Amino acid sequence: MIQFQLNGKQVSANVRPGTTLLDFLRDKGYFSVKYGSDKGETGADTILVDGNMMNASLMLIHTVSGKNIETVESFAHGQDVHPLQDSFIEEGAIQCGYCTPGMVLAIESLAREKDNPNESDVKDVLAGVYCRCTGYVKPVKAAMNYLATGEPK
Amino acid sequence: MKYFAPKSLEELKDLFLSNHDLNILAGGTDVLPRWQDNPSLKLDVLVDIKKIPELIGIKESETDIKIGALTTVQDLKKSDIIKKHFSSIYEATCQFAGVQIRHRATIAGNICNASPAGDLLPGLYVHNAVIQISGLKGERVVPIHQFITGVGKTILESDEIVVGIVIPKSSIKSLFYKLGLRQSMAISVVNFAIAYEIDENNNWKSLQIAAGSVAPTVIYLKTFTDALFSGSDVDESIQLVDDEISPIDDIRATASYRSKVIKNVLMHIIKEIYVR
Repeated sequence: MIQFQLNGKQVSANVRPGTTLLDFLRDKGYFSVKYGSDKGETGADTILVDGNMMNASLMLIHTVSGKNIETVESFAHGQDVHPLQDSFIEEGAIQCGYCTPGMVLAIESLAREKDNPNESDVKDVLAGVYCRCTGYVKPVKAAMNYLATGEPK
Repeated sequence: MKYFAPKSLEELKDLFLSNHDLNILAGGTDVLPRWQDNPSLKLDVLVDIKKIPELIGIKESETDIKIGALTTVQDLKKSDIIKKHFSSIYEATCQFAGVQIRHRATIAGNICNASPAGDLLPGLYVHNAVIQISGLKGERVVPIHQFITGVGKTILESDEIVVGIVIPKSSIKSLFYKLGLRQSMAISVVNFAIAYEIDENNNWKSLQIAAGSVAPTVIYLKTFTDALFSGSDVDESIQLVDDEISPIDDIRATASYRSKVIKNVLMHIIKEIYVR
């Protein structure tokens, strides 16, 4: 039996060893965490583990025992979205949306870790989200707007 | 499949004693994709060594720096000690994959994966890093260039693990260069590190170059550096690099491109160092 925190709730799971965190989360309905590849190349599978960005496809569920996992499911409540998500919407930093949850988590982890992050910090954390039909400019703008004020522009 | 997460080296050794075929998992960023690419692999016993605290962290002594085997690339990047003493290793961490992978990937994993393109390796080679190994037969210590023996090959026995990396402190300066097909999330087409000291008369006091992705392992470009050291002109001696490297064609680049680009960039950077 593995126990960990998932979006603030204690979870106990009896899972076959070898199961990835990605498969577990999607199986439980956390569809914001996407399959991009088995190799962590796309970043569409980004989650936060104890506040740090990681690839869910590159982690076995057994290794997260005792950890605190966050997905964007904890950010929005129905239509009531997080200011960072709102900033992405306002800036139009969304196309197919497949990778957007990963980008939102990347920016949020940066906001928590660093005071006054600059554009190069933003590009550094977004670099691992390589799934990019949204493009390269608007997510950076959306992030900078949010980081400057804590609100969308 | 059985899963174990030993909490100490002692517990790990007990596992080595009671099981024959352990699959050791550190950060998993290389191992998991390999397992997923080969569904036929039999993985009976999985051992997650990331729960062994004694294998994590960076310690500084008067003469050297000891890096725990499971220290992540992100922790290396954030370490003031690494940045101060080993610029080439620090620079490699900045160009290493993306933040997600840097949070998982470990220094020993990058070494044991023994990829010719491993980005931490050239810096470790030019700073003369030494690998600390622990196993059922005891402990041993081996220089990194003797530890890695080929593509994906090391001298590590099946009942041994890497416990740490020791790098001597010195006044040597170093830098890292990586050519990838894009800025991040790229496997190096060519990479190298240069460690050097220049005396007050603008002569080399010491010089070491280690290059990756141009041979089955990272290699020292010794003939080239010897020529520079004995005062030869860079433009002439750069041709010696071709005798030392054995690049291949792969999906990222051709052998002939690798040969041309490493010579061009090396020449440029060596000249820049002279001017500094």
